[in-house]
Amino acid sequence: MKVAELLEQRRANWRELEELCRLMEHRTKRALGPAKVLRFAALYRGACADLALADAYQLPPNTVRYLHQLVGRAHNQLYPSRGFQVRRWGEELLFELPQRLFRDGCLRLAFLLFWGVFGLTALLAGSRRDLAEALLGEEQMQLMEQMYETPPESQSVNERAFMLGFYIRHNPSIGLQCFASGLLLGIGGLPTLISNAAVLGATFGYMATVPQRDNFYTFVTAHGPFELTAVVLAAAAGMRMGFSLIQTNGWTRLASLRRSMHEAVPMVSLAVLLFGLAAFIEAFISPAPIPYAAKAAVAVISSGMLLFYFVLLGQPRGESHAAR
Amino acid sequence: MSAERPQLDTRVLIVTPENIAFEYRLAGPFQRLPAYLVDLVLRTLALTVIAVAVVLATGGAGMIGLGMAGWLALWFVSDWLYGGLFEALWNGQTPGKRLFRLRVLSAEGQPINAMQAVLRNVLRAVDAQPVLPLSTEFATGFHLIGLVAAAASGRFQRLGDLAAGTMVVVEQPQRAPDLVRMDNQLVVNLASRLPADFVASRSLTRTLAAYVQRRRQIPPRRLAEIALHVGEPLRVRLGLPRGMSHDLLLCALYFKTFFGTASEPLASSPFVSNGSSGETLAGVGREAP
Repeated sequence: MKVAELLEQRRANWRELEELCRLMEHRTKRALGPAKVLRFAALYRGACADLALADAYQLPPNTVRYLHQLVGRAHNQLYPSRGFQVRRWGEELLFELPQRLFRDGCLRLAFLLFWGVFGLTALLAGSRRDLAEALLGEEQMQLMEQMYETPPESQSVNERAFMLGFYIRHNPSIGLQCFASGLLLGIGGLPTLISNAAVLGATFGYMATVPQRDNFYTFVTAHGPFELTAVVLAAAAGMRMGFSLIQTNGWTRLASLRRSMHEAVPMVSLAVLLFGLAAFIEAFISPAPIPYAAKAAVAVISSGMLLFYFVLLGQPRGESHAAR
Repeated sequence: MSAERPQLDTRVLIVTPENIAFEYRLAGPFQRLPAYLVDLVLRTLALTVIAVAVVLATGGAGMIGLGMAGWLALWFVSDWLYGGLFEALWNGQTPGKRLFRLRVLSAEGQPINAMQAVLRNVLRAVDAQPVLPLSTEFATGFHLIGLVAAAASGRFQRLGDLAAGTMVVVEQPQRAPDLVRMDNQLVVNLASRLPADFVASRSLTRTLAAYVQRRRQIPPRRLAEIALHVGEPLRVRLGLPRGMSHDLLLCALYFKTFFGTASEPLASSPFVSNGSSGETLAGVGREAP
């Protein structure tokens, strides 16, 4: 058969496939109807066969190029992305993630670094005013003193809601930034982690020495556990990602990096979730004019939840998990 | 990874589960830039419009704080999850990518999953470095790290792409190309005089098709020079007279291979691309035997 005749035969099919691709790009498959989807599959197979036999059919180069494009386009409609598998998330979050976190060296390292720096700077800033000034700066110190001059006032729901939005936009961004920077060999996120620990530690230490300390601690107690854990977790996820480039366990560096994603992404997702919880507490409970005991109770309960999650759910269980 | 073959240029070969091999064309950093800018403008516009709407809707009711809370949360989502959400739900495309016919695929040519989509967009924070803060809330990323990574990786992958195992391809829909019509009488005559048992090899067929597709864009003397290399050995082999136009010979061989003999009614052929192509061969006629 001459090429021209062959092309004439096939062209109608290709055009029809093109048209179906165009339809599928703009509509769901359900709206298209089963008959058209079946027809699409048949035409796709036909185009695949034509492409595979292009050499034997002696098709001209521009037709071959067209077929590559057509098959690629149809392939993308036949195998679309799967979207979000929300049902998988619960199992991952409640059972698999804490198991991994319990054994995670990066989390321990991030935890030690954060709380080490936090404790150290709190001690230094609490003991000597010039050290606090070196760490925080005079301006920041005065600002803090002014902010906590008065006890938390009874704000309207409106004001608190606005602050909720502010915290939601602001805090997880720092965590995600810290996580993403971890890609730089695992140490990229350290400056963010350490500077946050230093500023927070110095503030905690310094505020203990000024008369406004009651107002300050009343405010920060309730949301502290979730927020600080989230910072540590985000940084640890970044380290897990970045260190996989160095410790490859026999994989190529790129493959090792991609494998680490299955651990790092759930970690950073948990961090964002914790940032969200902390934002709600920070906006609605921390500034509320309720007794300090109530806020302390919130802190105790949230710490208890974290302990339950990290320690009890994380406790190694059975042979099947240990074998992995 | 089994599908990876040596890659010469910006085309990657994908082998599907059906064992079909086809090519994708990769999108380079500067092909992706317009799509990114469109997405940026869209996001900014949408946030601005929503902000105005929120203020108008909730301001009067005295609920502005509540409205702004939602808006700020939306801003966070737009900053970190815009690309990830769209790429996961729209099969690897954001509005900008859709406009410029780009699509994110996994490095193996399969569709991306939601984790890959979100990850490659969250890691943009690294690729976007150095970031110049314009104010406390706005910043411009210059994407230099991403540019260097894309230049260094064979598939224009920035760090987010490398970590998520994705690549961006161009999906430019084309029309099914027409065969170049060849209805000049000289060509038809010569084709009918060629030996009936002459069958062009596969490589010669490809060469003829490529030659005829492009010959109209090449000036006559350059065309003669190009045709000489294939045409002269063929002329000798077919026993045709010395001094004939090699261009004419190649056109006749093309005609014979792709359209068959002159007896077929060409005028009714649907492959005819445009009716006025005949006179492009006019120059050839003078040298014909």
